Amino acid sequence: MTETVAPPKPLVVEEGKPQKGWIGQNVPRKEDKRLVQGEGVFFDDIRRHEMGYVHFVRSPYAHARIKSVDVSKALELKEVYGTLTGDEVAILTDPFFELSIPPGAHMKDYALAVGRVRFVGEPVAAVVASTRELARDAAELIEVDYEPLTPLVDARKAQDDDAPILHEEAGSNVVWEGVFDWGDFDAAVAEADHVVKIKELHFDRFSSTPLECSGCLVEYNRGTGQWTMYCNHQMPGVGAIWMAPALRVGIDKLRFVTQDIGGAFGNKICLHPYFVACCLLARKLNRAVQWTEWRTDQHTANAHGNERWFQEIEVPVKSDGTMLGFKVKAVDDCGAFPRYEPLGCIIWAQVTPGCYRWRNIRVDFTQVTTNKSPVSPNRGYSRMQHLWFTERVVDIVASELGLDPVEVRKRNYVKHEEFPYETPNGCVYDSGDYARCLDIALELVGYDSIDERRAEAESRGKLLGVGIGSTLDSGTNNFGQSTLLNPDLQFSGNNEVATVKLDIFGEIVVTLGTVPQGQGHETTAAQVVSDILGCTPDDVNVRPGHDTYWNSHAGLSGTYASQFAVTGLGAVKGAADMLAGEMKKLASVVLGCTPDDVELAEGRARLKANPEVALPFMALGAILNANNAGLPEDLEITLNCRYMYRPYFELPDKERKFGNLTLTYATQIHACVVEIDPETGVYEIVDYAAVDDCGVRIHPQIVEGQVHGATAQALGAATHETFPYDEDGNLLTPNFYDYHVPHALDMPPMKTGYIESASPFTPLGAKGMGEGGGAGIHAVCAALQNALQSRGKPIVTDSCNPYHRIWSLLRDPDASREGLEVTAS
Amino acid sequence: MVDVNGAEYEREVDARRLLIHFVRDDLGLTGSHIGCDTGNCGACSMIVDGTLVKSCMMLAVQADGARIETVEGLAENGELSGLQQAFSDKHALQCGYCTPGMLMSATALLRSNPNPSEEEVRKGIQGNICRCTGYVNIVEAIKSMGEAS
Amino acid sequence: MLLREVEYARPASVGDAVRLLSSNDGARALAGGQTLINVMKARAASPDVLVDLQDLDELRGIELAADGTLTIGAMVTYTDVIESAEARARPILGEVCAQIADVQVRNRGTIGGNVCSNDPTNHLPPLMVALGATMQIAGTEGDRSVPADEFFLGVYTTAAGPGELLTNISIPAGRDDGFASVPIGKDGTCIVNAAASLGGGALRVAIGCVDAVPVVVEPTSDDDETVRSAVRDARLDPPDDVHASADYRRHLAEVLAVRAVEHARTRGS
Repeated sequence: MTETVAPPKPLVVEEGKPQKGWIGQNVPRKEDKRLVQGEGVFFDDIRRHEMGYVHFVRSPYAHARIKSVDVSKALELKEVYGTLTGDEVAILTDPFFELSIPPGAHMKDYALAVGRVRFVGEPVAAVVASTRELARDAAELIEVDYEPLTPLVDARKAQDDDAPILHEEAGSNVVWEGVFDWGDFDAAVAEADHVVKIKELHFDRFSSTPLECSGCLVEYNRGTGQWTMYCNHQMPGVGAIWMAPALRVGIDKLRFVTQDIGGAFGNKICLHPYFVACCLLARKLNRAVQWTEWRTDQHTANAHGNERWFQEIEVPVKSDGTMLGFKVKAVDDCGAFPRYEPLGCIIWAQVTPGCYRWRNIRVDFTQVTTNKSPVSPNRGYSRMQHLWFTERVVDIVASELGLDPVEVRKRNYVKHEEFPYETPNGCVYDSGDYARCLDIALELVGYDSIDERRAEAESRGKLLGVGIGSTLDSGTNNFGQSTLLNPDLQFSGNNEVATVKLDIFGEIVVTLGTVPQGQGHETTAAQVVSDILGCTPDDVNVRPGHDTYWNSHAGLSGTYASQFAVTGLGAVKGAADMLAGEMKKLASVVLGCTPDDVELAEGRARLKANPEVALPFMALGAILNANNAGLPEDLEITLNCRYMYRPYFELPDKERKFGNLTLTYATQIHACVVEIDPETGVYEIVDYAAVDDCGVRIHPQIVEGQVHGATAQALGAATHETFPYDEDGNLLTPNFYDYHVPHALDMPPMKTGYIESASPFTPLGAKGMGEGGGAGIHAVCAALQNALQSRGKPIVTDSCNPYHRIWSLLRDPDASREGLEVTAS
Repeated sequence: MVDVNGAEYEREVDARRLLIHFVRDDLGLTGSHIGCDTGNCGACSMIVDGTLVKSCMMLAVQADGARIETVEGLAENGELSGLQQAFSDKHALQCGYCTPGMLMSATALLRSNPNPSEEEVRKGIQGNICRCTGYVNIVEAIKSMGEAS
Repeated sequence: MLLREVEYARPASVGDAVRLLSSNDGARALAGGQTLINVMKARAASPDVLVDLQDLDELRGIELAADGTLTIGAMVTYTDVIESAEARARPILGEVCAQIADVQVRNRGTIGGNVCSNDPTNHLPPLMVALGATMQIAGTEGDRSVPADEFFLGVYTTAAGPGELLTNISIPAGRDDGFASVPIGKDGTCIVNAAASLGGGALRVAIGCVDAVPVVVEPTSDDDETVRSAVRDARLDPPDDVHASADYRRHLAEVLAVRAVEHARTRGS
């Protein structure tokens, strides 16, 4: 066993342009004081007098017809307040709107199962009682009569003639299919010296399993028809878009309130079915209702990350390792209901060529339903799966052609001079230096001495391997990419809102539209505002969480897709700039000068020429809000500035599927060293480095924390975390006992490095980040394959490699190589 | 009857009520959290009669007569303890959900081992799952308490 | 996560505990709760009465007799074993207990609970069998002793039947013991484990996670090939599950048996 070694301090190689002020400093986090005292407010901490607790009755079958639901025995129990069944839901609500075109468009999705269940754990009925335990007891008395149907658990069989069809109205298990064709693949084959053919690669289901489960406490105001949900929904804008039409109410009738959220990672985006059920119950029973998801529910019946099969892969290459393109058939398994997932059919195209310069690409993409948990945008969403595929390809190509994987990468990486770089499908990679990041990562893991380490490991009977994982974290989506999925969708561009105001007593208050789940929004927003208003972050009060009633949000508001540093802080900057302008205007009126003569510094508005002449912020706030007689009539200011940040995007070309889909591209390049025990297949990660480039870092410590956390999740996904199903559609890892996530002793010594390639496209030169950790999966796969080279050169074809898989590769390396071919072109 | 962080509470409980639900729902001390249903995550960790336990695997009634320490008892009059401050300084928390349990595990560890090694720290928090931080800064924060002492 | 209704009793003596357990079919002993409470949360089993053994101090002793026999009370926790000076007479005990889960679990989980729950992936059943331990059981008709290799009867089933209570485990003198396992993650659930004990020239190996109860193998000598061959001859029929196929478990059983024996062998030197 290796000794645990304390990781050295992160290596910072190159800082961006030096920022004066608070941006770039590790300001103490405002969130911490309450969180370390257990004084955070997570939704389950909130009580309402006489509230009812919800428990869902869930399907034990992966696929079945519901013959009847009988709630009568449950209702007989004292203190059971009421129930809700699918029949009621079908009458009271309309199905949630579907993103896809037909056949996906015809799939019907309700808050509870209507007529049929399609995955184990699907909610079928709900019961509300005075205590949690009683609700659970009552749920056991609800009798559901099922007629089991054959389940479909392999996405590759979803289009077979005899495959069970999950959604009769759609007549097919296909949610969406499309062909993406850029450049000229056939010409690339003609130009190539070899074509490397890989039969099949598989990205496993897993999820980031946030520690706090989903839930809500819902109140209904009968007089106004208003629902208030104290919850942890991470994308309320989209939640409301789904819920309001289903409930047949206007969007403003849905108020989402969040304060602290215990992690989300994309798993708290598709909570609308549960929330609608709770809204109906709150209205029906005329009392507040509270629902807390249990861990087992989260694993079986909330959301998983995409599972994707990559088949019939062909890669034309030149002998020197220049890769000219690739062709692949992708089959995406979105589980029982598509929900957000159809966007995954397009979103990978943000990073079509990964980090590489290949120009001739053809992707045949099909998304299908299966009798498994629905899928949602888990951290890395759709790009991670695709980037894993590109990294596997690069690694396998290098290995089969006997080329150095470092050289192949450097030869094919987009070069530093080429940024901004337009990809074959029109996405613009803003900035970066991949080769530099790779060099740093390799240095951090001692790549130069790998051969000695390999020999030393061998003397102990172990197989040592080193691997590289390159990834991009594309952030700030252009929602126009949804039109490539469905030309009738009315979504495009992106937006975020923030409000900054100056109160009567000179207090600065910031209201965000985003929904923080631990990313330090309160702190970083305060940094941006204090630089603009000339004060300290302690002077800036940022309201924690999100509240629809603050009216400081937009249609796509939320925290997702690695964009806060761009959209959230862009909105904050815009609002603070507006406020600064107004403050200077007001000061100029009071001081008898022009706004250009005024500067904001040290908490005051003062004359640049004579700083002694100054107005404290309190004076400005008080004058406008309470003491404004005598102010000129044409002074149009409010000192309450709401700003919408909109990055510039155009609608993509639907015909060619061409256009810029994301604003920023952060880089993460990881290197990993593993040791395999060939007798058992057990392996250990003995050295690890993660290098991040997210442009200007607003708060380096927060960036580092994200790198650590994302890497840990990737290592879990690479080693043990997977959601496999048996042939009856039962999830085999339904809780933390069987689904092993990394604990403290499982983490390897981790070194980190940073460079800053500022983005030319964003207000602060920052890029969104946080999802780049997927590189860990790529790096571990590469390292394992490298370690096994001497044992028959098996290739790693799965993203998750628990010990039993390594043992299989050791025992039968040829099995993994089936269908692997290098042909002369 | 229980003493929690120095205050006495007397309640009647169903035998089936778990200690974590008692502390959160009946006593309103919502600092300790629930993250799983199989006793794996440690978010519910508290110190009962000087012993670190996962309170989701104890019945409330089993704590009758016990002295319980939860996260709410760590700060004094709103002043953060050295350990809490170290967590903030080292950015050992992001979403804060695992933090109360983590702090109790760290407290228990430092009481029995005031200057733990890296390995001992990791072993001491092995029962606490964090999904946000990768544990790196948590270990740094706890170790920093050792070097300081 | 939420238990069914249950009655709770907290007897002050072993005699009271046995009376409670035997007078009610649905009564179960509650030791550390690290397994039983989880089982009840999942509602996989719901006893009518929980007989809490918390106050039975007579079950918390660790005694080292003059002849080297170690007697450990059923309510002794893993942490107690790790910290016990007496238990160091048989170092493997503390070493294995330190591999179980985490501090919180080790502070409450008990030796008695681990052997009586007899989950096939537990650490202590194969260890007790390899060490040749003896279980002391109290019942309404008095006490009886059962050797470890007759104690484990089936999955979750032991010779301590309804109405009976395991009171202590005695382990004969010895030191040349070994243990090897492949857990899921550090200190996680075992995929396969093996315990070995070299005593009086005889070698005993017990393999866990491969059957309902630990499988005993007695290789005629301690060299690797003989051990492997003895494991093969046992014709193991392990389960297939998400962590390992039957084949993989069979393979690990051989490797881990060899490693456990090596651990036992090198301890003497």
